[in-house]
Amino acid sequence: MDLYDLRSEFNKSGIMMCFNGPFSHSIIEETGKAMRTYLTAENIAQAAVLDVFAVYIELAQNVRNYLVVREITPPEALSSIITIAQNGGVYTVSSGNMVLHEDGKALLARVEEVNGMTAEVKKRQYRELLRQDLAPGLIGAGLGFLEISRRTTGKLECTFRVVDDTFGFFTLTAII
Amino acid sequence: MEFITLEPTSATPSISYNPATQTLYIIGESYPENSFDFYAPVISWLRTALTELPGLTLDIAVTYMNSSSTKCAFDIMDTMEEAYGRGVKSAIIWRYDRENPRSYEMAEDFREEVTFPFVIEAIEE
Repeated sequence: MDLYDLRSEFNKSGIMMCFNGPFSHSIIEETGKAMRTYLTAENIAQAAVLDVFAVYIELAQNVRNYLVVREITPPEALSSIITIAQNGGVYTVSSGNMVLHEDGKALLARVEEVNGMTAEVKKRQYRELLRQDLAPGLIGAGLGFLEISRRTTGKLECTFRVVDDTFGFFTLTAII
Repeated sequence: MEFITLEPTSATPSISYNPATQTLYIIGESYPENSFDFYAPVISWLRTALTELPGLTLDIAVTYMNSSSTKCAFDIMDTMEEAYGRGVKSAIIWRYDRENPRSYEMAEDFREEVTFPFVIEAIEE
């Protein structure tokens, strides 16, 4: 693989940061810190820095929590990717990871559902989820997609691509 | 019923309790690896404390929290609300960052969820 070509691809897409590999909490944290430092130095409004950071955290933690909760262990399936791109003042955060086929379908349906909600419905569902008791063993409260969509402009974009009999690759993109 | 102070890390806030003023302080940012594990001891301490104390103030200055921390913050407030219903003097001082409109919106969203005194104040530099 030619690193120069890879770098050129990144630059062409405006990707300023990318992590590819198994996510650990410390990697998520360090990448997030570096991103914040970078964005703050760019002199963009603090609220915008925090929106990009918040979307990044939700996406990255979603990926990691999913793989932990589903007890997914094959190294090829653990390797995930997250990118943060900037094009003319618009920030795009994308994540991609392996999911079980049936989860892929559920995720696509959930994103479509969230995309179809008005701001008011989103807020109402967010409040309902806050009040719900959680089943033991859960790491997330199911709030992630709502949280992301409240901080983004436009709809969330997602794709699912079948990889083998067990797994497919799910991507989620949010534009801030 | 001693509270074990939690020191801050980059992903977790400091949490401390002042028994003289019956105030629980949460200061920093909150996006732990597992928010439920992180907040469980705090919520369990709070449940006991609210059966023994006449009142409790939560003084919180968290300008960013991830969604699962938001759920935990809600559970803390819900516990305080329940105690308020039994006559415990629950109160919250929520400090927001002037530079960050989101932290004010978050405070307002939380205030809507409770009926006890909830003051929103800017963090003074």
